[in-house]
Amino acid sequence: MILLCGIPSEAPLRMIASRLEEMSADFVLLNQRDFAKCDLWFEIESSDITGELKTQDRIFRLEDFTGIYPRLMDDRLLPELMGEADDSPLRAFCRGFHDTLIRWMEIAPACVINRCAPMASNSSKPYQAQLIRQHGFYVPETLITNDPQLVREFRKKHGRIIYKSISAIRSIVQQLDSEDEARLEQIRWCPTQFQAYVDGVDVRVHTINGEAFATAIDSDATDYRYAGQQSGRPAGLREVELCDELKQKCIGLTQSLGLEFAGIDLRITPEDEVYCFEANPSPAFSYYESHTGQPISQAVAHRLASRPFVRHEPELALMAS
Amino acid sequence: MWLVLCSSSDASAHWAFQGLLQMGLAPLQLVTAESLASARAWEHHVNSSGAHVTITLANGAVIRSSQIRGVLNRLVAPSDFTARCAVDAYRQYAAAETQAFYLSWLHALPGAVINRPAPLGLSGPWFHASEWTLRASRAGLRTCTYRQSARDSAAITDARRASFSRERTAAHHVIALHGEIFGAQVPSDVAHACGRLAKAANTRMLGLQLNSREGDEWTFADATVLPDLRAGGVPLLRRMAQILVTGEPS
Repeated sequence: MILLCGIPSEAPLRMIASRLEEMSADFVLLNQRDFAKCDLWFEIESSDITGELKTQDRIFRLEDFTGIYPRLMDDRLLPELMGEADDSPLRAFCRGFHDTLIRWMEIAPACVINRCAPMASNSSKPYQAQLIRQHGFYVPETLITNDPQLVREFRKKHGRIIYKSISAIRSIVQQLDSEDEARLEQIRWCPTQFQAYVDGVDVRVHTINGEAFATAIDSDATDYRYAGQQSGRPAGLREVELCDELKQKCIGLTQSLGLEFAGIDLRITPEDEVYCFEANPSPAFSYYESHTGQPISQAVAHRLASRPFVRHEPELALMAS
Repeated sequence: MWLVLCSSSDASAHWAFQGLLQMGLAPLQLVTAESLASARAWEHHVNSSGAHVTITLANGAVIRSSQIRGVLNRLVAPSDFTARCAVDAYRQYAAAETQAFYLSWLHALPGAVINRPAPLGLSGPWFHASEWTLRASRAGLRTCTYRQSARDSAAITDARRASFSRERTAAHHVIALHGEIFGAQVPSDVAHACGRLAKAANTRMLGLQLNSREGDEWTFADATVLPDLRAGGVPLLRRMAQILVTGEPS
């Protein structure tokens, strides 16, 4: 039995549900917006984990789930809680339900794509970069500082530099221009990340179950996700084949981070140097699949349905360090 | 240079700092989370060949990672000074960025670091009670049944856990450090299991609370990467100093 959870209309979840339907796989799609009609408990007794998930019309034994794909939105922001007081019983139940779900998924003896602990390496990009470089990827020259003078010197040295957030909170990658330089004093209150611009072609690699799906992105924008805004025309996406060595490096990086599924952001320079910016543990692969037809959702569905489930990571979630 | 990184209210770390100084570990500097928050300048580089950090504190003292030989790291979180400086709309963003920054520069510290940071905690992995229970059981420790339900409020869960602990007649605190056990005297099989739990959690130092009834039926109650070091006394300090000096790999 496979458990999918999140918002059913969200593209990645919808695509995986469709693939599982096509495979006639036995799965449950838990709409987190229906939390008020559900119940959940689990128990740990001498390493055995048991429990029950109750939905509107069925009760499932947690130990029957062998594959889990969580794509949960922040439960505090669910529309069902709009207007609810901070201490309302509904809000408390919603938090309790999601906390119980997440705690169980973190330890469930199942294929979980992905667990929270290994996903956390992505909550600090420069930390993850230090792990990435150990896998033979180049990482951009990076400076994190609260000293404007150091940024000016960094810009002088590297010419074109960009700035972006380092936490899991998404930001739009921007190139530092003279206008930005004039307001650099603002970084004094919070160390900020600057990177030497790396010229080349962006390649997003989705790794799952020993496979790697690579998509090249043609765009003039600093951040291709916002190509329309930054360069006036949308990014072009095309499927590309990676050499075996690079493919293995990507798969190895995913496994070493303790992830089942990752979206790895590479940039390949004209000199064929491979820079890696990050390994995204919750990739919105639907954007790439819908543009290229690459069977990413199918690969994820196959991994969820694989039997017997064989762990790729060490016991429990690997803590990258 | 050696560092002790901690909050200004971490009495246990201050005790260790004094003890390590008396043992002759020098130069040894105590750097608090509060002094880091008011640092004059931060310079953290990451590139294909490595990572390093230079911190210029408000008093002008400069800490360069290249000069560090070992660290006792007891940082729980960055001081909220930065987040408090941000306007309301950016407060959460500032807090997340600062946390991410601390994880990176702490990871870049060379030498022996007790404990190295992890994505789930700046001084090592802060697992949830459910995960500690499972890990403890797998390491060979006896555990109580853990139960969590969507209907539990956090307060009820905590209260129930506390009553679990009270049911046992005595609580014993041990500290696993690099395979050795300090603090309370426990049977050797229990001590070995404590060491296995620390190793499986990928942390150099781990504090464990074990409950026992009349010195028998040792049951795992809790684990922390931030134990009260005083429970390990001078033998723990001596071993810590040895690791910091020799830089024994973890």
